[in-house]
Amino acid sequence: MVALARKTLVYEWRRYLPATLAVAFSGMLLLVQLALVFGIFDSAAVYINASRAQIWAGYPGTQSIDLGRSIPRDAEMRLLLDPAVAQVEPFQWVNGDWRGIRALGSVSVFISGINPAADGMAFARAIPPALRVRLDEPGAIIVDRADLPKLGIAVGQSGILNGQRVYLIGTTRGLRALGGVNIVTSLATARQLNVGGDPRPAYYLARLRHPDQAQAVAARLDPHGVHRRYAVWTAAELAGRTVYYWLFQTGAGLGVVFMSFVVFLVGTVITSQTLMGAVAGSISEYATLNALGASHRALGRVVMEQAGWVGVAGLAGGGLLSSLVLALAASQDVPVSISVPGIVACALLVLAITLLSGLLAVRTLRDADPARLLR
Amino acid sequence: MSTAVAIRGWEIAKGFTVGKVTTRVLEALSVEVLSGELTLLSGPSGCGKSTLLAILSGLERPDGGTVEALGEPVWKLDRKALQRFRLRHVGFVFQGFNLFPALDAVEQVELPLGYLGLGPGETRRRAEAALDEVGLAHRRYMRPAELSGGEKQRVAIARALAKRPQLLFADEPTSALDSVSGQTVIDILHRAARAHGTMVLCASHDPRLIAHADRVLRMEDGRVLADEHHPHPPSKPDAAP
Repeated sequence: MVALARKTLVYEWRRYLPATLAVAFSGMLLLVQLALVFGIFDSAAVYINASRAQIWAGYPGTQSIDLGRSIPRDAEMRLLLDPAVAQVEPFQWVNGDWRGIRALGSVSVFISGINPAADGMAFARAIPPALRVRLDEPGAIIVDRADLPKLGIAVGQSGILNGQRVYLIGTTRGLRALGGVNIVTSLATARQLNVGGDPRPAYYLARLRHPDQAQAVAARLDPHGVHRRYAVWTAAELAGRTVYYWLFQTGAGLGVVFMSFVVFLVGTVITSQTLMGAVAGSISEYATLNALGASHRALGRVVMEQAGWVGVAGLAGGGLLSSLVLALAASQDVPVSISVPGIVACALLVLAITLLSGLLAVRTLRDADPARLLR
Repeated sequence: MSTAVAIRGWEIAKGFTVGKVTTRVLEALSVEVLSGELTLLSGPSGCGKSTLLAILSGLERPDGGTVEALGEPVWKLDRKALQRFRLRHVGFVFQGFNLFPALDAVEQVELPLGYLGLGPGETRRRAEAALDEVGLAHRRYMRPAELSGGEKQRVAIARALAKRPQLLFADEPTSALDSVSGQTVIDILHRAARAHGTMVLCASHDPRLIAHADRVLRMEDGRVLADEHHPHPPSKPDAAP
């Protein structure tokens, strides 16, 4: 069988280029907006994702990590008593008010008090051990380099945090938070900055001997019951709760769905119009084939095959475009995060765009009436 | 060579409605067309020759009358059966050559053969034989953009002939061609009728064709005014099958 669809696509590629680009850009828009939204909302869970703990204990019912409340200190003992647990450390959460050297007004910040030991778990992925141990100096703080302009401070300079003087000993990457600036201090510094607050920590982090047992250990360590004073989650569970809290409580999730619908609509309109134009441009040839006995169904298969190839080429182009845009975003500290289910969902939507466009273009074949060739 | 009746049309009537005005194009027209002959429907434009061609070939449903092609009541067949009938038995050549720009000559000819369910070997063999028959074997890998108008029409004829149809319809096949190309095209059509016993029905207002037809049906205002038979030598030596 002559590969009419493929040969026409190759020979008349200019005619099909707009459809391919429409598909490619639709795919890129879908993926990039998804990556951006998840990137932004993943930063709400940065405390969890940047740490090396598999288990988190916190206040029961906490919906998002930034909404934690203090929990009893005996939680630490309970965690340590479990033979599966290798290491436990507290995580102090303090709300702060910052004033820099240059007067920038008041900046709301989140203070994370962490264990400054070289093998500390909190923010272990974001803060290298050499920098981390220097948090032991009283009043030492670390921030994300992207937050420096907001704080109006440079490394080595000091500022006023909750009325007390602190020193910026270094910056790192991957600490950006959703609602404000993250400032990392030692537990001791955090306690001093926690003026008038509950001195007990909000969370305890635990590292397991076998990380793959996290789910079973979390289930075993959770005190259960309505009157429990703390709850135990796996890191993934708490991160998921946090991201979904932000996605759905802020309406961003619905925004993603709405934007995807708009992209789908625009992509389908442009792609189908291009394919329809291509069919209309060859309508006499299709009508001749029909006169010679090729059924409309057979001609429809040619158009659908073309749509399929446009989809495949568009998907490849969209993948390339997305990689470039996401690489650019990552290099500019724009929070982006992609996941395999996200990529699969976008690819399916793109294929749906081409499938629907193909079906719309097949309708144009109704004009392939050979009797018209004789008028 | 067979001279059996290939197509019979009785009392064919057809009108077209544009807005509120209905124009009668064909009025109770009856006609028989024979196999193995080149029959020319001749007449001024608007006389109804293309409409008659469309009705006899199973492309346009008449308002009244009956068409029997190869013994089949064409307009009693459902859409699918009619399509199958056209696929098996009918070839078309149109004024516009209607070739796919992306395909070379041999692929143009192979394309409809694919729908007949022939294997790739047989498809290629038939396509090359058909191109050879129209004298384009040496141009078989050329795309339409590289062919002249006459060559394009010959590819279109090869496309119709490769199916080995018993019925071949041609609508103004030479109108867009210069005299030499037109002459070549009409010779090929004539030869196809003689060599394969094909019924060739050609609608044209080109007076050059009249001398080459075995039979001329002169039409005017939707009626056949004259039915002329032109005696021709049975077959040219170079056109032997």
